[in-house]
Amino acid sequence: MTTVNGGHCNTARTIPVVILLLALGISAGLDAYPVLAEELSARDILNKVDDLYRGTSSQGKMTMEVVTEHWKRTLSLEFWSRGKDRSLIRILAPLKEKGTATLRSGSDLWNYLPKVNRVIKLPSSMLSASWMGSHFTNDDLVKGSRFAEDYDFRISFQGMRDGQDVVELTCIPKPQAPVVWGKVEVVVRRSDYLPVATRYYDEGLRLARTMAFTHYRELSGRLLPTVMTLVPRDKPGEKTQIAYDEIRFDVVLSDDVFSLRNLQQ
Amino acid sequence: MSLLRVSWRNLWRNRRRTAITMSAIALNTLILITTYSLMGGFLKQTVRNVTQLATGEAQLHAPGYLSDRSLYKRIAHPRILLQALGEHSIGAAPRTYGYGLVSRGTKSAGALFQGVEPAMEAAAFELAGHLAQGTFLAPAARKGLVLGRKLAKSLNAEVGSEIVVLVQAADGSLGNDLFTVVGILGAVGEAIDRNAAMMHLDDFRQLFAMPEGIHEIAVNTRGRLPLDALVETLSRLAPGDEVRTWRRLLPTFSDMIELSGVSMSIFGAIFLIAAGLGVMNTMLMATYERAREFALQKALGATPWRIVRDVTFEAWLLACVATLFGTLAGLAASTILQTTGLNTASLAGETTISGVVFDPVWRADLTLRTVVWPVFMMWAVCVLAALYPAAMSARDMGSNLHFSHFLRAGPRSVCGTGRRRS
Repeated sequence: MTTVNGGHCNTARTIPVVILLLALGISAGLDAYPVLAEELSARDILNKVDDLYRGTSSQGKMTMEVVTEHWKRTLSLEFWSRGKDRSLIRILAPLKEKGTATLRSGSDLWNYLPKVNRVIKLPSSMLSASWMGSHFTNDDLVKGSRFAEDYDFRISFQGMRDGQDVVELTCIPKPQAPVVWGKVEVVVRRSDYLPVATRYYDEGLRLARTMAFTHYRELSGRLLPTVMTLVPRDKPGEKTQIAYDEIRFDVVLSDDVFSLRNLQQ
Repeated sequence: MSLLRVSWRNLWRNRRRTAITMSAIALNTLILITTYSLMGGFLKQTVRNVTQLATGEAQLHAPGYLSDRSLYKRIAHPRILLQALGEHSIGAAPRTYGYGLVSRGTKSAGALFQGVEPAMEAAAFELAGHLAQGTFLAPAARKGLVLGRKLAKSLNAEVGSEIVVLVQAADGSLGNDLFTVVGILGAVGEAIDRNAAMMHLDDFRQLFAMPEGIHEIAVNTRGRLPLDALVETLSRLAPGDEVRTWRRLLPTFSDMIELSGVSMSIFGAIFLIAAGLGVMNTMLMATYERAREFALQKALGATPWRIVRDVTFEAWLLACVATLFGTLAGLAASTILQTTGLNTASLAGETTISGVVFDPVWRADLTLRTVVWPVFMMWAVCVLAALYPAAMSARDMGSNLHFSHFLRAGPRSVCGTGRRRS
């Protein structure tokens, strides 16, 4: 989302999703709120994060490990993204699901099922359902760029925590905001403003899920946390972990990549 | 015996009066019996719609299943349990449930998939015959799908349509397959109409990668066993599972039924009072007309008690004969309404109550209670209506002339009209 000063800014909620789905090219903006020192610094931090992940397009591979009470599975995924609202994710492994793909085009989500060779469009009623069996929801894939308008944020903590010098930003949705969370807390490293963790609270302000960022390393010339672990609060022992194996930014991707025809390749 | 003979003769001394009174009582008895049986029929039919179609009189689930409908909370040994239920002549149908997505062309919707054994479903419940289009599922798994009415509409699906199905299987994988719509259900209730996608249990097992276990056993004795006894039997047969009656499964609906019962009782009571007042009026007039007769009886030495007894007995005898006619007419009317029913479709169309579809053909339900209650009430009304004027007549009011004068000129002529001037 372009702001007054022409930059993109990320909201707290979208940070994990941005990283998770650079694949999906989600980059969100934070508007400049009333010019108070605290909010400025918050905005600067988020701008910094956003600048870090702002690629016009990306392509790469990642491994998604999902652990639930009843099963554990690992998926190999390839992804392409362009802009904020075009992305394609295809399963490479396991063999049983190879070729299954998700296409996001604008606010629409499509799934391709190679077994039956059919494309299905995801109805809006299924947005809260799990994406590919993970703890992420379909909503996480298609939303996330609207928090600039929907959240107020402030720095709620600065200093040492767990042996790390961090800055914590608390984001509260505005009263009329169409947001599922009651509050989101984003923690970044003070040294380079890379995210450490994001905590999502439900509308009763109870912690709903936590995203942890680890394994900071350089990919495609950028220092990034390459592993993200999402832990739902109400299901102890369950998690979804995404590890970026490779990523390239600013690659040239034509419209055809994000077409329904390509989805069925 | 003599009392009966005397009363009987008394009744027919004034045939016109007796005939009018009896007509009023008989007509009210007829109306009350018909009304009560229609009310009873409405409640019974509504409950039947719920229990006989799909929900059943009670259901068995694994502990905690209903709180989250988890794919993994299954009844452990369904075969043994179903066999035991069969031995007790309790109709039962095993079912599995799972959420997912149905899609046709560019249209898609969330659905609640239901795996069923078509033969058992058809034997225990009426849903298999409750189709708007097509047929129910074949006995063997053939990737057929029966959709809820509104779900089919939202997909623009009809019999023969190809449906893509996508689910999260029990092993975490993405279960997906092509199914063909074989039938579309008639109106059942909001939940089923909007979400239900039924398939053969074996197809369900394959789609959801769930080789064993079931989520629900719905039981139906078609009213043969009272709910308490049914719960007791089920608890004994399946000690490790949860037993829920339809009342507990559908608390809102159950409350609505209770409330309907109460409101119908109130309505019935109001109607009874109205009818009773009409009869009472007739009875009062009939008794007042005989004021002179009572006075004469007293003059001849009859005790007040005897007059009251005679009049009351006469009233009861009159009520007996009248209610006999009324009951016969009421039975005839209710039987017609029970077999043919009232078709309300043109008036109200399809009515849903608490998400449960109400049959447009409204049938009466004739039970002993719907006959006995109005008859006894009419008797009580008649006897009470006769008792008051009889008691008045029996009281020693100085002279029968006073009483007849009272009837002619009203109470003030008896009570006095002011002070005596000296």
